[in-house]
Amino acid sequence: MILNSDSMKPIYIQISEWLETEILRANLKEGERIYSQYQLAEMFNINPATAAKGLNILVDETIAYKKRGLGLFVAPNAKQFILHKRRSQVLKQLINEIVLEAKHLDVKETELMDLIHQVFNEIEEDKE
Amino acid sequence: MTVIQGENLTKSYGKTLALDNLTFQIEENKLTGLIGRNGAGKTTLLKLIAGYLKPSRGEINVFSHNPFDSLQVSANIIFIDNHMAFPTAFSLDDILTEVAHYYQNWNAKLAHGLFDYFSFNPKQRHGSLSKGNQSTFNMIIGLAARCPLTIFDEPTSGMDSAVRKDFYRALLKDYLEYPRTIILSSHLLSEVEDILEDILLLRDGTKCLHQSVLELKEYALGLKGPKQTVLERLKGQEILHTEEFAQGSLYAVIKNQGLTSQQFLKHEDLELLPVSLEDLCIYLTGNAKGGIDHVFKQ
Repeated sequence: MILNSDSMKPIYIQISEWLETEILRANLKEGERIYSQYQLAEMFNINPATAAKGLNILVDETIAYKKRGLGLFVAPNAKQFILHKRRSQVLKQLINEIVLEAKHLDVKETELMDLIHQVFNEIEEDKE
Repeated sequence: MTVIQGENLTKSYGKTLALDNLTFQIEENKLTGLIGRNGAGKTTLLKLIAGYLKPSRGEINVFSHNPFDSLQVSANIIFIDNHMAFPTAFSLDDILTEVAHYYQNWNAKLAHGLFDYFSFNPKQRHGSLSKGNQSTFNMIIGLAARCPLTIFDEPTSGMDSAVRKDFYRALLKDYLEYPRTIILSSHLLSEVEDILEDILLLRDGTKCLHQSVLELKEYALGLKGPKQTVLERLKGQEILHTEEFAQGSLYAVIKNQGLTSQQFLKHEDLELLPVSLEDLCIYLTGNAKGGIDHVFKQ
């Protein structure tokens, strides 16, 4: 597994986002045990303290919960929670960046909307 | 538990002050990177820890003992650098067999596994190996010894990048399997930062900082944009570095005081960049002579 070390995103956030994506893809199911900090350290070639910080984000956001002596488990409704969070935060942030870049390039609001429609259609067509 | 404790540690060689009043401590089972410019005092510090040198002033304790002339300490330490000398009559195979008797936790399986992986010839002599292969062989001994305190002083010198990558991964894997206190001095911070927990940064024989990598990654922010806009933003900030990189543009590195990226990015012309640990350490330990460009301006 390769991490993006040039990213503005700290490694521990990349770890927690990767785990979230694993939950969204149902590779990790609700109620299942999540990798330990040592397993993650081995997988991503990072110090276990960094991996632990990534795991703690999941606990803080109640996506995961601790079972004493057993490790971390995916919380019920974790998937729903992550979907909601990504829509309200991540998508908003991405749109923010798109709008700023559009302004940079003198792209009008209507032009930008047209472009989004176009990409939407292209992706739908690819699916079919 | 504290494994290493230095109090006002000072070491001078004649009139040259190599370490100046250094106070620090290293906790058990941490993987610490010892970082600093050439001549900052890294090797001197490591040799004081290993008990190879006596401090001029101050105190050093390793496992609560003075390491100088201490059997107790040397039984629990291995010090790997590129000046390791082995009996010239010994083949590499002999060295691996003999060295095992000196280290209680010696892992022969790991030693031979790495030995075969790096395709060493058991009959070869240490002295006839290339510089990079000597480093690789020494590293194998350092890992397989599994000493409670393992010190690597510039272990990767001469290694090609593929071997360096293998070494970092082997070090991390064996550390996860068998946690112990490890100090690694290196000039290649960008290569090792992800596996380190703490960084001890030396500048001119003194402690510049000693913090976790996680904290240091958020220590500074880079700000890039039109000179005037950047300068406005710098008011009230602690500036670590500035650099004019194009006509009218300025790149500034400031200490991160909890400002969110959104607050900065709201301004269209400004770009916010992460500051790599390597660059941060250069800025923190840099000289005041205005950088290399200054030499060419004269």
